[in-house]
Amino acid sequence: MHLTGLDRFYWLAGFGTHIVLFSVLVARRHFRQFPVFTAFVGFSILRTIALYLIQSHGTKLEYFESFWTLAAVDTLLELALILEMYFRTFRPLGRWPTDLGGSLLLIAFSSVAIAAGLTWLSIPRTRYWNQAIVIRGTFFSSALMSELFVAMIVLSVRVGLPWHSYVRKISAGLGVYSIIDFLIEAGHNVLGVGMDTHVYSALSRIRMSAYLVCVLYWIGTLSRSAPTPRRMPERIRGQLMELERLANAGLRSVRSGRQM
Amino acid sequence: MSPRLILFAALVLLMAVVLALAAIRAFRHSHKTSAADWDELIGRLAAVDRGSIAEVALDLVDESGAPRRDPTEVLESGQIWEKVGGMEGLEVLKRNCAVLIDLACYVQRWYPEALVVAEQLRLSAREIEWHVGRLHSAEETGKLETSFSMYAPRAVAIYYLMTRKVLALYEHGSLDLLSDLQKAI
Repeated sequence: MHLTGLDRFYWLAGFGTHIVLFSVLVARRHFRQFPVFTAFVGFSILRTIALYLIQSHGTKLEYFESFWTLAAVDTLLELALILEMYFRTFRPLGRWPTDLGGSLLLIAFSSVAIAAGLTWLSIPRTRYWNQAIVIRGTFFSSALMSELFVAMIVLSVRVGLPWHSYVRKISAGLGVYSIIDFLIEAGHNVLGVGMDTHVYSALSRIRMSAYLVCVLYWIGTLSRSAPTPRRMPERIRGQLMELERLANAGLRSVRSGRQM
Repeated sequence: MSPRLILFAALVLLMAVVLALAAIRAFRHSHKTSAADWDELIGRLAAVDRGSIAEVALDLVDESGAPRRDPTEVLESGQIWEKVGGMEGLEVLKRNCAVLIDLACYVQRWYPEALVVAEQLRLSAREIEWHVGRLHSAEETGKLETSFSMYAPRAVAIYYLMTRKVLALYEHGSLDLLSDLQKAI
């Protein structure tokens, strides 16, 4: 396979920024709070190394098979990453809030249904049948990711759940990137892949540029320290616990109050 | 380009615009809330008749939140409607609930331990939203009169408990903002 100077730039830039981001996650101890995100970044580094070696020493078929196998693992990690963000956002007390069950189920089912519906509508023009499967598969994945991330952001604001500082940063980057990725993958479906792959490559480079900006944003924001909380005195802690007990008792009373 | 592909492209563009607008709106709201200072939050509270709110709420629960099993005087549906201010009054309470959560978050910024109270306040606000939602549905089906006396006092009682909770939170936190809050809610 022939790589242009621009291709080499994207490989090197992607590899370098992921190394820096991984170092930030380790050095700032973010990996304890975001193990899946850290694994996602670590996997990106390993994937870049593996694909570079296969591209240099392997056949075109080997590269194709490796590329899409690793892409499938990457998609699974993205789904796990979404789950991690949902856990961090919607379980502030370590359990799912009672008022969110219906909304979360609705988000899950409607996101899959919309992504599947749009994927069914798409008919990418390709030379080979496996190209069509790949394009439709990546489009389904990008549509699902963008829906789930935006739904998470909107729902958390809608129901008044505060965001942890770093959850906000990671979700903001992924949210913006997932919408751009969704448009790029839709572009692949509309324009297809013919003998000339220049358009396909150009769209892919736009996507890679957007992702590089996203990684740089993560490096910048995750390097900074979160605001330092004040230590709550024991007296106030005791009063708050008592207050919480009274509030719960009061609400239970209201819910089971007499009929008017 | 086939009609199916045109439909696909149109739906993709529509969805991208909807997703982008929804995300921007959510981020703006979140940023506005987290960047707000005390005066801004107080300014967002709409004035309510605290006396009437307390009267309706205490018709259902006592000061500690326990239900009144043998009330000496039960408010009629019309009286409740008048004291709450009808649907507009309930909407004001609903909007104030959102502000109350932000006020609790203000404390949470300084004391992360207040997360439990903030979460409890949030759940209460959601419950009021549910009650107001039921009232909207009843209004559409012409059953508002009976539904109002059923759901409005509960929403008001929860609001009353919430305001007491927030006031207590600030009182315990020894913040100098208690008097401002008492005037607003």
